Amino acid sequence: MTINGVPREADVWPGESLLFALRERLGLPGSKNACEQGECGSCSILMDGTLVCACLVLAAQADGHDLVTVEGLGENGSLHPVQEAFVEAGAVQCGFCTPGLVVAVADLLRRDPTPSDDAIREALSGNLCRCTGYAKIFDAVRIAATRA
Amino acid sequence: MELRQPSSAEEAVGLLGNGHVALAGGTEIVPLLRDGLLRADALIDIRRAVPRGIHGTTIGAGTTLAELEVDPGIPVVLREACRLAASPQLRAMGSIGGNLLQATRCWYWRLDFPCYLHGGDRCHAKDGRHDEHAIFGNDVCASAHPSDVAAALLALGTMLRTTARELPLAELYRLPTTDDPQTTTLADDELILELEVPIPEASVYLKAMDRQRWSFPIVGVAAARTAGEVRLGLAGVAPVPWTLTSVDDLDRATPLPGTAYKLPIARALVARALRAVATG
Ligand SMILES: Cc1cc2nc3c(=O)[nH]c(=O)nc-3n(C[C@H](O)[C@H](O)[C@H](O)COP(=O)(O)OP(=O)(O)OC[C@H]3O[C@@H](n4cnc5c(N)ncnc54)[C@H](O)[C@@H]3O)c2cc1C
Ligand code: SF4
Ligand code: FES
Ligand code: FES
Repeated sequence: MTINGVPREADVWPGESLLFALRERLGLPGSKNACEQGECGSCSILMDGTLVCACLVLAAQADGHDLVTVEGLGENGSLHPVQEAFVEAGAVQCGFCTPGLVVAVADLLRRDPTPSDDAIREALSGNLCRCTGYAKIFDAVRIAATRA
Repeated sequence: MELRQPSSAEEAVGLLGNGHVALAGGTEIVPLLRDGLLRADALIDIRRAVPRGIHGTTIGAGTTLAELEVDPGIPVVLREACRLAASPQLRAMGSIGGNLLQATRCWYWRLDFPCYLHGGDRCHAKDGRHDEHAIFGNDVCASAHPSDVAAALLALGTMLRTTARELPLAELYRLPTTDDPQTTTLADDELILELEVPIPEASVYLKAMDRQRWSFPIVGVAAARTAGEVRLGLAGVAPVPWTLTSVDDLDRATPLPGTAYKLPIARALVARALRAVATG
C-alpha cells in the first residue's frame, strides 16, 4: 500500500485493524485509538480519497490502496492550513480528537471550499470531541476555509 | 486465520461456511473480531464476488450507504434512511448487504454476557437495563434491531436475490427462540447478491434519535405507498426489522418497563408518516 505518498509494507495478522497496523507496525501514531468501534472518528484517515475510520478497516484489506494519515497532510515540514487554523482558533484541548478532525476538515474543504454551517455539521458528525463543545472547531473550519 | 479474496460469487460460496466468514466493508466485523465476539478461521473478502452499484431498481448488495444516499433514482425513504444512519466515515465503507446483517447493539450481548443470543438461558437486558430495547417480538430476546435501512426496504416491499434463492426481505429475518438464537435465515455459505426495490409513488423515513445525527434509532418509521398500497417498516422496536399493516397494530405492542416510552413515539411517527405518504 501507499501511505502519505510512500510505498509501505507490513506483516499483519489477518484479523487486525488498519489503525493497529498504522500505529504499532508502521510508526504512524497520529491517528488516535479511542473507541475502536467507529463511534468517535479520532482514527479518521483517507483511503483512496475517501474518509474512513481506520479502526474499522481490516489492515489486510488496505493492501494495494492509497492512504493519507494526519502525518501526510502538511507539506515540506510545514503545517497544513487546517492544522494552522486549529492552532489559531484554540480548537485543541486534550487533542485526542484533533488528528481525526483535521483529516475530516481537510477532506471537507477539498470537496467544498466554502461549506455552509450545515455542511460542516454533516461532514464532522462522525467526529466526537469531549472537550471543546465544537464552537472553536467551527471557528477553525471557517478560518481554514478563507485560506484554502 | 487467513484472508481470502475470491473473484466470483461461486468461488466465494465454495469457501464460506465451517468458520469461514464473509467480509464486506468490515465496519461490523472488524470490531467484533477484536472483541472476541466473532471467531473466524478465515475471512472471505466478498467485495469482488458481490455486485456493487445501482441499475434501475436493482441495487448490488456491495453498494455503500454513501453511494445510495446521494443517488436521485433511489426512493426518498431509502436515501433518508442511509443519510441518517451512522456517520460519513461508516457510510463510506458500510455496504447495504452488511447493514441488513448487522449484529445487535444490545450492550449485554456486546459485553459477552451469556444471554439467549449467545446460547445462554436468559435475557440479561430484561432483568436489567433495557431502555434501548424492544416493544414487539420481545418474548425471548428483547433487543431492538438497529437497521434504518432494513425498515426502509421493508416499507418498499424489497425482494432479495441470494446465491441460493429469491425472497422477500421479511423472510431474511426470524425471531430468536430459546433453542435457536439465529436472527436471520441466511445459511453460512449463502451471500446476498442483489436487492430489487420497487419505485413507490410516495415515501418517507422518520427517525427519533437521542441527538440529531449519528445515533442508532430509538424508533425509526419508514412508510411507502406503492401501487396504491401503503406499507410500514420499523427500526428499533423488535429484535428484527418490523412490519406493521396499520396503526392499529401498535395496540398489540408488548413494551417493557424501560421501553414503554417508545410506544407513544412510534404512534406519533407512524401517524405522521401515514399522512406524509397519503398525498403527493
Ligand atoms: C458505530 C456504528 C453506528 C452505526 N449506526 C447505524 C445506524 O444508525 N443505522 C443503521 O442502519 N446502521 C448503522 N450502523 C451499521 C452500519 O451501517 C453497518 O455496520 C454497515 O452497513 C455494515 O456493512 P459492512 O459492509 O461494513 O459489513 P461487514 O462488517 O463487512 O459485514 C457485516 C455482516 O454482514 C455479512 N455480510 C456482509 N455482506 C454480505 C453479503 N452480501 N452476503 C452475505 N453476508 C454478508 C458479514 O458476514 C457480517 O456478518 C452502524 C454501525 C456502527 C459500527
Ligand atoms: S436483549 Fe437479546 S441480546 Fe440483549 S441480553 Fe437479552 S437476549 Fe441477549
Ligand atoms: S477509534 Fe476509530 S472511530 Fe473511534
Ligand atoms: S480536544 Fe479533547 S476530545 Fe476534542
